[in-house]
Amino acid sequence: MAAQTRTANRHHRIIIWSLLLLVAATLLLPLIPYAMDYVDPSGTVPNPGADLWRDVRNGNIGTSQVLGVDAGVLINDNGERWRHFRMNQLIPVGAMFMGSVLALIVLFYLVRGPLRIQGGATGKMIRRFSVFERTTHWFTVGLFWLLALTGLILLYGRFVLIPVLGPEGFGLTASACKEAHNLFGPMFLVALLMMFFTFVKDNIYARGDMTWLLKGGGMLGGDHVSAGRFNAGEKIWFWIAMIGGAVLIGSGFVLDFAVFGQGREVMAISHVLHGIAALIVITVSFGHIYLGTAGVEGTIGSMVNGEVDEAWAKSHHDRWYAEVKAAEGGGENEESAGGTAATGVASPARDA
Amino acid sequence: MFAQLVDGIFWDIALWVFAIGVVWNILSIFRVGNKPDYSEPRGSAVAGAVATNLRRFMPRSEMVSRTRLQVIAGYLFHLGLFALLFFAAPHVLFIEAQTGLGWTSMPYWAFIIAAQLSFTGLLLLWVHRVMHPVTRLLSDMDDHMASILTFIVMLTGCMALVEAFEGLRVLHRFTVEILMVYFPFSRLMHAFMFIPSRAFTGAWFGRRGVKA
Ligand code: HEM
Repeated sequence: MAAQTRTANRHHRIIIWSLLLLVAATLLLPLIPYAMDYVDPSGTVPNPGADLWRDVRNGNIGTSQVLGVDAGVLINDNGERWRHFRMNQLIPVGAMFMGSVLALIVLFYLVRGPLRIQGGATGKMIRRFSVFERTTHWFTVGLFWLLALTGLILLYGRFVLIPVLGPEGFGLTASACKEAHNLFGPMFLVALLMMFFTFVKDNIYARGDMTWLLKGGGMLGGDHVSAGRFNAGEKIWFWIAMIGGAVLIGSGFVLDFAVFGQGREVMAISHVLHGIAALIVITVSFGHIYLGTAGVEGTIGSMVNGEVDEAWAKSHHDRWYAEVKAAEGGGENEESAGGTAATGVASPARDA
Repeated sequence: MFAQLVDGIFWDIALWVFAIGVVWNILSIFRVGNKPDYSEPRGSAVAGAVATNLRRFMPRSEMVSRTRLQVIAGYLFHLGLFALLFFAAPHVLFIEAQTGLGWTSMPYWAFIIAAQLSFTGLLLLWVHRVMHPVTRLLSDMDDHMASILTFIVMLTGCMALVEAFEGLRVLHRFTVEILMVYFPFSRLMHAFMFIPSRAFTGAWFGRRGVKA
């Protein structure tokens, strides 16, 4: 009986010790390579797990049952670089860029004030833009600001709106803005094409543009500088808006329609281009808006009513003014004189 | 709370105001009636009514170049809106839930394209209305309100596209209710009246043997 009890006790001990050994082995065995590495760092024992994760981390492509672009990539390493660019460069640098240009404009206004019409307004008006030209402009402006505001909310809302609306409220706003942005984006192509074909003929480089630029357009003091229908500054804005707009639309299409096999990398590059182009065009538009409204007396009427004061035309666009007067004086048929590249006069035929 | 009102009592009020207002408006126009015309008819009034209705779908040839933008934008907006209103999946489901009547809806991509065409048309039409000296002068508050309200309804609709946020759906429905209440008292009534009004003009001239 006593012998039996002893045997049983021994069995129990063996079982307990074996279990403890097993646990210790499970815990300690994987540490052996590290211990060896510690003793002799030259003889690193490969860790299959680490190798696997290193592969994954480097964005190596494996195989997957899932069909789809990039499905074999478990972790998109470039995504991290893209995220870093967006959070640490695009967002802060963009904000600084927009903020400083706005501040400069305000400062300029405070120091220099609006550019006045030389000799004061005469009250005699001449036609500058046709109904079609103005419709095209304001249609583009409407879409531009719908897109710019929704886009800026998507880019900066996290910082500006979450404190105001809370995370729930911002979630809703962001979703609304994303849908609107995606829907209006392709429409901007229509606006941009209309804008391009309407205004391109008068935005080609012409003699005198360089002089205008060198003299800072007369903005920094001195006399008004001679210009045609559009001055060099306006031409530069035109091309920034057109090229920036084309980049925005091209990259926007890549982002909007992710069904043509473009992978994450192409999407990330498109996003970077989209963000940079957007911030540039928006920032430059501040200057354009300033000059079109508060900055230069009598300018806004040209896009609202289609007319400008003769004195405005003489001081800001003297060569255009001379062309219009020559066309009028020449007694040409109004319908055919209008809208030609030579005169740049708005076409009455398109005015209905 | 607000959502309950929008889905409940507000909707009922909007629907009744819309229905009674539209019927009242149409009846009051028809009740004015016609003076009896004893003259010898020189042509068919019915043919005139039909012909004018069809002819008005195209601009007069002399006006084509002057009205190109309005015609194109007008068609874009109205056709797009028609497709959106009656064939967008969420609308079809809504109508089915309300009336039991359902039909096949557009695929999602067609819905989006219809919305884009419609928005393009509406924006162009409104900007043109404000830019053209004649239409600017002729337009009153009602014209602008009609364009702006329609735009807001379409905008809130497109913002609610993901159908993930209850708040956005409620906002869209609320703007629709405002539009429905406004509708019978505004020129938006042309949605119901453009055919009878063309028919009236066409019949009047048709009976006198004149092309209208
Ligand atoms: C609220 C915003 C805006 C205002 C108040 C505004 C105002 C004006 C004004 C007054 C003019 C006429 C200038 C002149 O008579 O020489 C003009 C021209 C023009 N605007 Fe704007 N604008 C705005 C936004 C935009 C935007 C967003 C774009 C493009 C995306 C744009 C593109 C143009 C172009 C291309 C011209 C013709 C001048 C040229 O071709 O160089 N504008 N604008």
